[in-house]
Amino acid sequence: MTRVLDRDDRHDGVEVAATPAAGSGETARAPRHRWRPSRTVTLNLAAVTTLLLLWQLVATVGGEDPTLRPSPVLVAKTLFELSGTDNGGYEGLPWWQHLLISARRIGIGAGIGVVLGLLLGVLMGVIAWLRTVLTPLLSLLRALPPLAYFSLVIIWFGIDETPKLVLLGLAALPPVAAVTAEAVTQAPQSLIEAARSLGGSRAQVIRDVLVPSALPQVITGIRLALAIAISSLVAAETVNGLPGIGGMIRDAQAYNNTAVVVVGLFAIGIGALGLDALIAALGRRLTPWTGRA
Amino acid sequence: MSRRPASRLVLLFTPILAAALATSGCGGSSSASTDGAKPKITIAYQKFPSGDLVVKHDKLLETALPGYTIEWKVFDSGASINTAFVADAVDIAAIGSSPVARGLSDPLNIPYKVAFVLDVAGANEALVARNGSGVSTIAGLKGHRIATPFASTSHYSLLAALTAAGLTDKDVTLVDLQPQDIVAAWKRGDIDAAYVWLPTLEELKQTGTVLVDSAAVAKDGKPTLDLGVVSDDLISKHPEVVDAWRKAETTALAQVREQPDTAAKAVAAELSITEADAKSQLSQGIFLSPAEITSSTWLGSGGKPGDIVTNLLDAAQFLADQKKIPSAPSRDAIAAAIYTKGLPDVLTK
Repeated sequence: MTRVLDRDDRHDGVEVAATPAAGSGETARAPRHRWRPSRTVTLNLAAVTTLLLLWQLVATVGGEDPTLRPSPVLVAKTLFELSGTDNGGYEGLPWWQHLLISARRIGIGAGIGVVLGLLLGVLMGVIAWLRTVLTPLLSLLRALPPLAYFSLVIIWFGIDETPKLVLLGLAALPPVAAVTAEAVTQAPQSLIEAARSLGGSRAQVIRDVLVPSALPQVITGIRLALAIAISSLVAAETVNGLPGIGGMIRDAQAYNNTAVVVVGLFAIGIGALGLDALIAALGRRLTPWTGRA
Repeated sequence: MSRRPASRLVLLFTPILAAALATSGCGGSSSASTDGAKPKITIAYQKFPSGDLVVKHDKLLETALPGYTIEWKVFDSGASINTAFVADAVDIAAIGSSPVARGLSDPLNIPYKVAFVLDVAGANEALVARNGSGVSTIAGLKGHRIATPFASTSHYSLLAALTAAGLTDKDVTLVDLQPQDIVAAWKRGDIDAAYVWLPTLEELKQTGTVLVDSAAVAKDGKPTLDLGVVSDDLISKHPEVVDAWRKAETTALAQVREQPDTAAKAVAAELSITEADAKSQLSQGIFLSPAEITSSTWLGSGGKPGDIVTNLLDAAQFLADQKKIPSAPSRDAIAAAIYTKGLPDVLTK
């Protein structure tokens, strides 16, 4: 068994030149399909490996310092320790449950923000004066750092779930509304007129012409909105954020547990990538006419 | 049109790079660094009423050490001061006993030593129940929601008070809130009690009842303190600076005790509050005399660390119980981090 594995190892990768010597005298094997990593995958793997090695190097040179420069090994160990509840996890929960709780907040808070943003965007796209009135307000809201107005949200909505959802909603709404409004106004006039001349009511034109034509841009807007909501997560969880991945990061910071902070950052990052890929895939499903299927 | 894109990139990144290089050049201001001809001493301070603010405001250290550049940097928590020590960016700091216990434990093991007791938490940190919550005793807090800034001395005192009343942190709902958020949550009725320090405490008292304060918790053997810590590097390279600093803090403490009006003026100016408020806040802390500081009850003297070792050990054990550190350090390790060289004479000579 081990010999077969050995041989396989030699066949893999780039050292094909070694194959004849290694395989000489062996019984002929059935030709098999070998997995050939695509150029992109190889490049990505090489980049990640190089980065990890560099990180380990930076962390180890001049002595380990778990607070200033936790090594990838330490972070991996911390990740493992926080994965179960054998060691109590973090504040009694494994890291992925903190992530799930935060994901739920994003789902509800940013979800409401996205839906309201869509409605508002369509209205702004259709009603010109509304667009004129709301555009500067939305730009203003977009420019404000969430941490700056979070204290107001706390005074108004308390310290439980509501303020976190409100903050995430406020973060997600403006980009969706702005992009949707823009997309709706850019809908081809010929299509709208055609639908009108076929007897379509205003509602029908919105539903059957404006929304589908705006959809590809709207999907991009939603991806942007979720990215902004995720980057506001730590702000949303600065106050009474435990359990929650942002709360975990903040709590760990207060105790100088840098490795836990890094674990939390990775969790948020990977969660964000996953969510973005999901929405992108959903977008391709919803708008099969754009790009390549 | 013939311009290559690379040159634009260079144009774009040159100022960014220049800025990055300029800022990185300024980093790392440890005791060894010199500003011109004078060695620079960086002091981390926090905005709580203390003799430390008198030292800063009256420029006691600048007067005592004309050959040095003294830089004061404000910090908002012990955790950030610990980080600054790890980054070798400060030499001396005013910091609570809980973060010091954290700093002396694995894996931080910050090379600093406790060289002074700035104050002992007394009535200036307390557990208050909100009027209308129906809570009048600590035991009555069972099932209620209590806010405190986690990782602080108040957090430690709260858990000590709950334990003394026969409760654990499982019997209540603990909420991690910073002082300003405690006020908001309190006014909205989101929390029933809070363990916090001045000036937030003063605001809560107006609509609440004090259940216990840190002076009472201290009597039960769990005192919390504000400490002066000094980096090992500074102790080995500039012991004369440490001596001058301890003397300046002693002078300031004497002023707080004996001329509270003068001290209140300095504290009021540093905290941007009225002198009356500053005086009232100062009166609620416990400020030790040189004899008390160097007694075996607190810091100790001449190579014999006092009971502060036990206090820090308790605080470290608390962190270990909370699973914030792998384990508490040994008694010897903490004793080795108490700097008593030259005490008590150096304070008054």
